[in-house]
Amino acid sequence: MTTADDLRIAYLERVAVSDEAGAVAVAVGALDAGVDPEVVLLDVVAAAQREVGERWAAGEWTVVQEHVATHISERVVAAVARHAPAPPAGADTVAVACLDGEWHGLPARLLAEVLTRHGWRVEFLGASVPAAQLATHVHRAGPDVVAISSSLASRLPAARRMVEACRATGTPVLAGGPAFGEDGRWARAVGADGWAPDARAAAAMLAADPEGPWFGEESTEGTPVDRTAREEQAVLHARRAELVRLAAAAVRPDADAVPDELADDLGHLVDFLAAAVFVDDPALFDGFVRWVGSVAIPTGLRLGEVGPVLDALAAALADSPRTAALLRGAHGGLPTPVA
Amino acid sequence: MDGRHGVPTCVADVGTTADDTPSTAPAPVPPTAVGPGLIDGLDEGVVVCDRAGVVRAANAAARDLLPDLRVGEVVDVARCEVLARAVHGEGPGTGSFEAVVEHPEGERHVRGRRGPVLGPTPPPPPEPGEGDSTWFLRDVTGEHARTDTLLAAQERAAFLAEAGRALHGVLHLDRTARRVVALAVPRLAAGAVLVMRHDDQVIWAATELGGGRPRLGHAAASALTRVPRVAAALADEGGGVDVDPWLAEELATLTGLDAPGSGAPLRACPVPVTGVVDALVVLAGPRAAGGDVTDPEEDLLSSYVARAGAALAAAALHEEQAHLGAVLQESLAAPRLPETDGVVWGAAYRPARETMRVGGDFYEVVGPRGEEGRSAFLLGDVCGKGIEAAVLSGRVRQSWHALRLLEDRPARLLPLLNTALLDAVATRDEGPRFATMVLGDARPQDDGSVALRLATGGHPPPLVLRADGGVETVPVAGMLVGGLREARFGEAEVLLGPGDTCLLYSDGVVEARGPGDFFGEERLAAALPACAGAPAAVVCEYLEQTVVEWLDGHDHDDVALLAIQAPA
Repeated sequence: MTTADDLRIAYLERVAVSDEAGAVAVAVGALDAGVDPEVVLLDVVAAAQREVGERWAAGEWTVVQEHVATHISERVVAAVARHAPAPPAGADTVAVACLDGEWHGLPARLLAEVLTRHGWRVEFLGASVPAAQLATHVHRAGPDVVAISSSLASRLPAARRMVEACRATGTPVLAGGPAFGEDGRWARAVGADGWAPDARAAAAMLAADPEGPWFGEESTEGTPVDRTAREEQAVLHARRAELVRLAAAAVRPDADAVPDELADDLGHLVDFLAAAVFVDDPALFDGFVRWVGSVAIPTGLRLGEVGPVLDALAAALADSPRTAALLRGAHGGLPTPVA
Repeated sequence: MDGRHGVPTCVADVGTTADDTPSTAPAPVPPTAVGPGLIDGLDEGVVVCDRAGVVRAANAAARDLLPDLRVGEVVDVARCEVLARAVHGEGPGTGSFEAVVEHPEGERHVRGRRGPVLGPTPPPPPEPGEGDSTWFLRDVTGEHARTDTLLAAQERAAFLAEAGRALHGVLHLDRTARRVVALAVPRLAAGAVLVMRHDDQVIWAATELGGGRPRLGHAAASALTRVPRVAAALADEGGGVDVDPWLAEELATLTGLDAPGSGAPLRACPVPVTGVVDALVVLAGPRAAGGDVTDPEEDLLSSYVARAGAALAAAALHEEQAHLGAVLQESLAAPRLPETDGVVWGAAYRPARETMRVGGDFYEVVGPRGEEGRSAFLLGDVCGKGIEAAVLSGRVRQSWHALRLLEDRPARLLPLLNTALLDAVATRDEGPRFATMVLGDARPQDDGSVALRLATGGHPPPLVLRADGGVETVPVAGMLVGGLREARFGEAEVLLGPGDTCLLYSDGVVEARGPGDFFGEERLAAALPACAGAPAAVVCEYLEQTVVEWLDGHDHDDVALLAIQAPA
């Protein structure tokens, strides 16, 4: 019997050489051999995809390679989905959507497939769903539950807009994915009714209680978004481009043009800062700052540049007290650059 | 002034006047008992005056109300003119008055009444004893009744406000129906059933105290013929009426559930006519909280049912509109790409008005027909945005689908399309409607390459990404389509080697305006080499993401991308 680990390694080998047909064959072959489709989806495809993400973060793979890998995984999921049973008559409906700005639709797609197998009728809205589109869908289709997914904590302000769109209709929202914090505390902050770390947990929670709310009353983790949060986040959003330029000038004053990779990193840094301000949790920003210093992207933000960037931003954002405090706090936690 | 009757201190103790009492009175109170007297315990201010208007006694409440009042001095010093006149017998003589008096804490409204005349002998003070306690009793029935009425009215108002919010937050008919019954229990009844006729269907929702989530069902409107009492009640418009047990039977027939409230009396409340839906709320039994169903409760019920009716009508109207929009969207939405031998397709589409998912950009791909194995494709952009543009794009696409059956050479097909658009506009009172487009066909060759024939009018030139990462612009241009009958269009032929990709894109891509600048053709061309070797779908997805990130949340025009690829 082939283990999920063996399958994952074989699958990843095919993906690494962009062999779409070969990768699909590994997955479909496993299904034909009687492997549980959920294992193929989550322990082979999703697990392999996580390794792809790690290779990208380590600078081994380019963004396009990562896209190709995702494309192959999408095809595999589509192939597995063709074997899926039809939902039973009268099944409850769940709408699955990625947060606006979350382009990695695969985890949500996997969730959609897993929930289909657990007897839900699933409406999959895709990657990067604008809040307005979700609102339109909820009013028109009236799903019983909305599941929102993201791996990027910088999308939390978008999550808030989506939760509000659903809340007006009384539709419970289950948040999923690492964007909402290791224990889901930011899911509570943006007003979601529950949080699941992964697709299996989401299916189990929805099976145990199809209506939510899944958060207990007693937990106090995660402060709800307040007025300061919204105001300071809006300032960061409006000044994003200016802040990126300013931070780039602070660390590479001699460069003729800001390299795209550096601009991307700085843009993400501002987005994560805004998200941290939004949910009022320094840990969110500190986590990103530690991570960005560890990623090897050739012309991207270097570890030694992070400190000066934080200083430049803190000086420019002195009018926003919570933002400035977060920047100062993150500065204190920086690892010492290795010479 | 008769100071003898004055009390020397501020303590107003009737007991201190005991030195006047006849010998039949009990012994004088020992000095240790001097303390707050009976009248000091009253909430009501008590002022005792003698014939001359001198204050003989005043309790704490009176001194608090009239701080200038002095025991042993004439009442006039208290600066309450109406009281002084009443004491001196100068008022209207009714024995009561109302006055507004100055007070350090602001104006006070005072109501006064003349009490019973104290007899010649003040009542004997009680003999103080160890552990005595004094109780002051007051009849507060009226006060309570008023407070209860007020609280009940507030509670009803709050219930209606909350119900209104909850009902109008939903625009989906089934969910609204569920809410109508869910909100009614337990506040209005122990169980509730909603029956509603909308168009040719009947929707019902039912819930019961402790019954969990409301149940919901649909039936054809013809089902109402089996339940004549329900049908008649639906057409009714009166307030809540008690109903005969047969209606309960009919509800059970319709819903397949036991009648709500297990035998409790039912009341049927038809919602006021909305012109959109006929609906009936049937409530079972008195409210779960118990108590009489009073008139204000009837008002509450009819207000609630009216709100429910308005919410159901709004949801029904929205559903009709949304359905109209959805059907239109479905017919105008970006099509699925075919799977064809020897050619790989990819596309991305992002309309400007994201809630609608349709716009003025469009693409079409049709797989090969006949022996030559040519697949036909089209990508274009009509002027304008949103639904108007989408409808026009639908006309262009349908014309293309029909005309390509008659003429498959792109350079000849485009002029035909131009004429068709001009003719269609001429038959309506429309201004000129322009479109730009690239159309063509793709034929896989035996050696794995793909031969493209292209024709273009007014559209940005296609780009070719070679397998080695080289990027070329296809030098082809032409005039707007739908503008002039004698317009001239460009044509070109391109050969894609294995792994080469030809990219068609709408101007929404290059005109995407981020915080600084337009995205531009240079950035587009610069982004392409990274995609060399990637499947066509990935190329489009990557470029779409790059453009949207460039926009950084700013508004944009429709964005459409179509990639045609020879497999590597």
